[in-house]
Amino acid sequence: MRASVLWDLAAVFAPLSLLAFGGGQSIVADIDHQALAHGWMTQAQFVDLFAISRAAPGPGALLATLVGWKAAGWVGAAVASLALFVPSSLLAYAMAALWRRFDGHPAAHAIETALAPVAAGLLAAGAVAVVRASSGSLVVWAIAGVALAIFMARPKLNPLAVLAAAGAAGALLG
Amino acid sequence: MNLEADGRVPLRELALLFGRIGLLSFGGGLTAWVHRETVVRRPWLDDKEFLSALMLAQILPGSNVVNLTIYIGRRLRGPVGALVSVVALLVPPMALVVVIAALCASLMADATVHHALEGVAAGAAGMTLSVGVRSLRAAMGGRVWPLAVGVGVVAAIGLMRWPLVPTVAAAALAAFALAWRARTHAR
Repeated sequence: MRASVLWDLAAVFAPLSLLAFGGGQSIVADIDHQALAHGWMTQAQFVDLFAISRAAPGPGALLATLVGWKAAGWVGAAVASLALFVPSSLLAYAMAALWRRFDGHPAAHAIETALAPVAAGLLAAGAVAVVRASSGSLVVWAIAGVALAIFMARPKLNPLAVLAAAGAAGALLG
Repeated sequence: MNLEADGRVPLRELALLFGRIGLLSFGGGLTAWVHRETVVRRPWLDDKEFLSALMLAQILPGSNVVNLTIYIGRRLRGPVGALVSVVALLVPPMALVVVIAALCASLMADATVHHALEGVAAGAAGMTLSVGVRSLRAAMGGRVWPLAVGVGVVAAIGLMRWPLVPTVAAAALAAFALAWRARTHAR
């Protein structure tokens, strides 16, 4: 029984690892669906875990760790995490090695120049999507705007102070 | 910054740095943290290489910041560096997130806690936006077309929510065409 849960976790998360284009967000709906279909948790519990994975430090993909933990304890957490992170990480390592081999090549330079603004735009779009996925209230947008202004003016500033102030502002004004 | 005798970044420093990012990045914004620690505060990567690595991390499947960390760890200390960096980034917050889920799942339903967490996430989004603006500025290098491409991507994906893969493919093609045109005009 327990072994079969671990097997199920690996079978759910390993394929998703290589399907998670655009970061972790794209597979959240599928994780939700599978977690309910396997009877690992209720929808309300999934929503709780999703909220925790967003609020806690670390990448949002730690949602997989939480689902594994809910399904089969600490061993489940380890199995789900390995299944989600190892396949994509091996691919990323291989591609990083390949990419560095072409370092300095004119074609690589042309690709870098052309795609740099796409990468910058995607990063900013991800931040906009995060704000929109929240309540998206005026307060939330204002906090993001003020934080943007502060980090533009003082890039070396310790982010923790700004994040703490942002949390306090959210609690007081939200 | 301490370097080893041969000028390489010590593995210990990679472990401590990525461990710190993993544990302190409340509300997300990890890519911005990585930029701050490896480009702004340490001379490990320049903006151009960071953007190139970020592009690769975004195109490939998997968590962007995990892919980015693997690139940087590998670039600085080879396979062992990649492994040390990614384990340091993931394992401490994994343990923490489970402890949080075990102890205070019910706390998340509290309205004030919810608003505070939204505020932190908005602050982290502002931090990420600042790196996006800075990177776009670095990508422009005095040209106009990169600005058009960057703003177009933000509008299409961030605001209009067009599907990611075809939108990025179209933006990349447009960027190639514009870069090519700018190059031939410059001659």
